[in-house]
Amino acid sequence: MSELVSTIQKVLAETGLVLGWSATGAGGVAAPERFHTAEEAEVAIFDSTCVHNLSVHLPRLKGRAVGIVAKACDARSIVELIAEREVDGDQVRVIEVSCTDTLDVKAIWRRYGYGALIEDDGSELRVNGEPVEREAFVQAKCLDCEDRQPATPAGKPVPSGSKPANARQQLREDFQAMSVGERRAFWREQYARCIRCHACREACPMCYCRDVCIMQTTDPHWTGGGINTAEAEMMQLIRVNHLAGRCTACGECERACPVGIPLMLLMEEQNRAIEEMFDYRAGVDPEAKPPLLTFDIKGDSWDGE
Amino acid sequence: MKFISSEKIPGFLEALSARSTVWAPRELTGSGGTVMFERWRPGDPIDLEHYSSLSAKDVVLPRTEKLFGYTYAFGGSPFSGGLGASGTAVAASDSDQAPATSGEQIVIKPAEPAPSTVLFGVRACDAKSIQVLDALFNNPGGEGYNDPQYSARREGLTVITLACTTCDDACFCSSFENGASEKAGSDLILYPVDGGFLAEGVTGKGGELLSEPFFEESELAPPPLAETAVIEGLERLQEILPGLFDDLDFWERVSERCVSCGFCTYGCPTCHCFNIHDEMQGDREGERLRSWDACMFALYTQETSGHNPRPTLAHRYRNRINHKFSYYPENQGEILCTGCGRCIRGCPAALDIRDVLRDALKAARKE
Ligand code: SF4
Ligand code: SF4
Ligand code: SF4
Ligand code: SF4
Ligand code: SF4
Repeated sequence: MSELVSTIQKVLAETGLVLGWSATGAGGVAAPERFHTAEEAEVAIFDSTCVHNLSVHLPRLKGRAVGIVAKACDARSIVELIAEREVDGDQVRVIEVSCTDTLDVKAIWRRYGYGALIEDDGSELRVNGEPVEREAFVQAKCLDCEDRQPATPAGKPVPSGSKPANARQQLREDFQAMSVGERRAFWREQYARCIRCHACREACPMCYCRDVCIMQTTDPHWTGGGINTAEAEMMQLIRVNHLAGRCTACGECERACPVGIPLMLLMEEQNRAIEEMFDYRAGVDPEAKPPLLTFDIKGDSWDGE
Repeated sequence: MKFISSEKIPGFLEALSARSTVWAPRELTGSGGTVMFERWRPGDPIDLEHYSSLSAKDVVLPRTEKLFGYTYAFGGSPFSGGLGASGTAVAASDSDQAPATSGEQIVIKPAEPAPSTVLFGVRACDAKSIQVLDALFNNPGGEGYNDPQYSARREGLTVITLACTTCDDACFCSSFENGASEKAGSDLILYPVDGGFLAEGVTGKGGELLSEPFFEESELAPPPLAETAVIEGLERLQEILPGLFDDLDFWERVSERCVSCGFCTYGCPTCHCFNIHDEMQGDREGERLRSWDACMFALYTQETSGHNPRPTLAHRYRNRINHKFSYYPENQGEILCTGCGRCIRGCPAALDIRDVLRDALKAARKE
């Protein structure tokens, strides 16, 4: 029995519920699971197809004890949820797994067909039995993850200054080089295909307003109900701003977007600005006061009257 | 059968686009491989290799459509004169329905007429989906509801289908009567063969296209079509699901991975729920729009009182499955799913509707 399984079983004895993964997705990739019993937990796995950030389920499970298997990046979301008092730290048992990188499974399937067999031993990646270039199919966030634990030479981070191996990294560089006007035009082209499904919001662990989100309320009528470029732009302005200083860069918004809008370009840009302005990184310290959630009514600008 | 070579396809579409709006699947640049049906213009690329990420239902049910525009006009103001020519005054000040303000008129501007459209390169499951939607929306002169805007778009629509000779792991159209050889909803079917496509007219509309100069006679035999995964007994779900309705544990279990992102409904070719809303520009003019909506969202059933009869994700997921495999078959005589697999390929939580359907069939056997 793997060490992961026995750890989950130990935690289960305390909590009665653990969020983790089994290999029951298409082509044998990981799929999110809820384990309730030691027997159910026997199928638990962790590998590079465990892309989902399971902490998105925690706000809905508020009030009950729960264990959760988490990569280092997922753990940041949990920490931020605790810092925002959305999750009770005493109720959550985090089972951290060490991770070298995770795969952009969707990109692999787009290239090789849905359900194509993905085999990964941590260094060599094979699709349908053929070796493929690993860097091209690794999630871009993983390539510059600080918590990454390269197990093999092939899993080493790409040295800075080298040519991006990954289409997503290339796009990031292109975007950085754009003027403000070019960026606006770029986004309008991207937003033109937004179907306003709100998957970017629903998949985000920090967007826990969900069912009462102002992007859909009719009273007050903050945003129109139409599905078009202007509304999509408005919607992203709201979403991105509401995540200022709260986004942990987990990448789930972009992964969930069914039409491939590169939303992480926005999040990364804002995260960088927040770090510069407030010296704050979301999801690092559960005791921290997130800068934009700090409303001091005794401050200089308002005397509380 | 007639034959059209691959090289002649752009010319054929160009000829069609001279008299109709043509929609074809294309990989959008900078979209990480997203394939969507878009308005096609001569010179545009076409992707016939990949399955489209979203269905082509926009063609009959646009994501947002204008039902009509309206202007509030006041007696003697320049508005009523100017707009009266193209619009219809529905509420004059002396009628019973007159608004409170004396002299006020609402001038209605009808939506633009539906264009003549050619939908090129859908698969059999998507063509069939249009027929499944017709059962609800398109009943001109017959029994049942007829949605005038849907019906007008449908009237002007020609569907050219690309038959599937291969499939992927998400497809399950073979679970339905005709599988990949389904012809319903198609006007013309193209079968891929060496160097081009064999073409079969299904309706008069489609058959007429074969007389275009792009087609020639051919002795070739059509290729064998794809056989996908099969779930036995889907039609039995209509009887089974009502018995599972109150088993909320079941619905919680099958939907526990779901993050309620709604893609499975927005991407689905048969999902057709909408919201009707008014959007004003200033305080005089506005539009009444109809936009996509979905039962996976909390606000979908939220009542004005604040009460929500489907308070949790499990309640909402239950509705999705029941509407597709029980209510719609009962009311419209068609299963509201054609096995296209989009909800499976696109789900960020790896939730496979086929597992849920198998679990429901299994739960019924146990009882
Ligand atoms: S905005 Fe995107 S990257 Fe940031 S926390 Fe939410 S899902 Fe993760
Ligand atoms: S997930 Fe993508 S398509 Fe859906 S609302 Fe967000 S940006 Fe638009
Ligand atoms: S696509 Fe998947 S996660 Fe999204 S609402 Fe549907 S089942 Fe849930
Ligand atoms: S429910 Fe899924 S498989 Fe069925 S038609 Fe809709 S998207 Fe396709
Ligand atoms: S009720 Fe749900 S499943 Fe049925 S058509 Fe509407 S969105 Fe689709």
